[in-house]
Amino acid sequence: MNVEELEKQVQLQEDIQEIEHLQRKYGYYFDNNMWAEIVDLFSDNAESVEIVDHGVFYGKKGVRRIYWDMFSGGGQPRQSPPWMQFIVMQIGGVVDISPDGTRANGRWQTWLCEAKPYGAYPRQEWLHGYYENKYVKEDGKWRFSLLHWNNTFCTPFEEGWLKMPLMGWMPLPDAEAPPTAFHPYPYFIYNVPYHYKHPITGE
Amino acid sequence: MNLEELEKQLTRLEDIQEIENLQKMYGYYFDNAMYQKVIDLFSENTESVEVTDHGVFRGKEGVNRMYAGMVGMPRPGWMFFEVMQSQGVIDIAPDGKTARGRWYTPSFECRPFGGTKKQTWQFGVYDNEYIKENGKWYFKKLHWNLTYWTSFERGFLKVPKLSDTPFPHADAPATAYHPYPSGYHVPYPFKHPVTGK
Amino acid sequence: MATVEELQKRIQRLEDIKQIERLQRIYGYYRDYEEWDKVVDLFSDNAESVEVADHGVYKGKEGIRRYFIDLIKGGKDAKPRIGYMSIAMQIQGVVTVDPDGVNAKGRWYGFLAEARPTLSLHEGELRQLWAHGIYENEYVKENGKWLFKKLHFFLNFRTPYEDGWLKTPVVGHNGPSTEVPPDAPPTSFFPYPSGVHLPVHFKHPITGK
Repeated sequence: MNVEELEKQVQLQEDIQEIEHLQRKYGYYFDNNMWAEIVDLFSDNAESVEIVDHGVFYGKKGVRRIYWDMFSGGGQPRQSPPWMQFIVMQIGGVVDISPDGTRANGRWQTWLCEAKPYGAYPRQEWLHGYYENKYVKEDGKWRFSLLHWNNTFCTPFEEGWLKMPLMGWMPLPDAEAPPTAFHPYPYFIYNVPYHYKHPITGE
Repeated sequence: MNLEELEKQLTRLEDIQEIENLQKMYGYYFDNAMYQKVIDLFSENTESVEVTDHGVFRGKEGVNRMYAGMVGMPRPGWMFFEVMQSQGVIDIAPDGKTARGRWYTPSFECRPFGGTKKQTWQFGVYDNEYIKENGKWYFKKLHWNLTYWTSFERGFLKVPKLSDTPFPHADAPATAYHPYPSGYHVPYPFKHPVTGK
Repeated sequence: MATVEELQKRIQRLEDIKQIERLQRIYGYYRDYEEWDKVVDLFSDNAESVEVADHGVYKGKEGIRRYFIDLIKGGKDAKPRIGYMSIAMQIQGVVTVDPDGVNAKGRWYGFLAEARPTLSLHEGELRQLWAHGIYENEYVKENGKWLFKKLHFFLNFRTPYEDGWLKTPVVGHNGPSTEVPPDAPPTSFFPYPSGVHLPVHFKHPITGK
């Protein structure tokens, strides 16, 4: 192998590493309510953000709407009470880079502990979800291009996913489109599609 | 360092990345009941598959038998497995042809038990072997050790395992089935990173 | 096109990240099987400290030995307790290696399934617990190997299996030991629902802040 070929392969490993870190940092920012930092992880040409059944938010404008305007209350000092907590553990990422090294896909599992108001009451919940995300490389840095979090279940701590798989629906009023894929357990036998081909058979 | 040594070092890094991916994909396919895709991740020269106390299934033929009963069977919507593949530690052999991996799998599940549907937590430890053939990594030997399998309502301390689950069509009984609270330690495939022991 | 030297540096960095991830995950595996001697051997002889939850700060390699062997193990000849289980899954590692390639930092989540006493570290009936917390650790490279320089586990919640974090955020927080006292009191015990978030060590990948 010559230096040029070696460099290409080094670049590929670095890209995978950087995207794994990007996804994990997103998780840490999310849990720490660092919404401005999250908006800055997205490309200015971001496609969309779709989280559970909140609906689809298009473009960088949409990214700002959901994370900054809605989750952060427009950047006001923290309004949510301290007992409100999201821990979204980012587990098991499979990252694939396009041959030209400018785009990538990533699939992740997430395991969540949440405490948030539901109706008038504080509730504690277990959740599970899958990401199928897209990333883009701009100016030598990887950013989010599309974020899509598919919720498997959102169950009260006291009940469990069999008894109560979904606590309720949470469409956000200012979404630009309804969710494209909201199929929580067990209403549909829905498998979040894979971005990658089978490593052996190639299908 | 010269180009050849660099290439070797890089190949090793790529191997680790690829094996981590292989293991995670196994998890994703398994959770989504895509059992044929799971079977296709195993080498034609597979040694064995051993999952909890189901027993030992030998060779690629054993892999087919172990998962085949599940291939193409429709799964009711309420039944699911989320087996999260985490904390992988991969060791590549010096010749770069085989490898070993240890993983944890915390899991959420819902499956039939007796006559009922049961929501369960599960935890297990993988001690796996991989093999590189024609430039690709495959599973050579899969061994999943059960730590606990408990109902959501009771918890691992009260009910460490719901029942035993031997499969009658295995080639041999399980070689190592020691769930909590046995105190059994799944042997480490790796040496101590500092002392080397 | 890069030179061989540049490529070597880049490969080394990738290698360093993988080695540190490996070190942290193996720490988890040894810890879960209560192999405390092996855990101590993962620390540099020039290690700074270990601080876990509200146990306080144990300084230097000697402090680290006292913490894991005298306190957590219960003494070098102590035997494991039947039925005791503490699995601390090491998740979501973000490792940042300094440009000098000798120092590094890592942030991890620890998610725990435990069956252990809460009356004290060693006494009382076993209870089943879920716990969560954040590691912000430091590593150092010595003689080509990465080791722990500082381990800091910030407890988020430690709740009985039956209750959940909202109902019973923390149990078993008995403060620093008087039998194997720390070298300094705890610096950051602000569990849920304090609203305190442990700051991230890493700079923003895009803005650099």
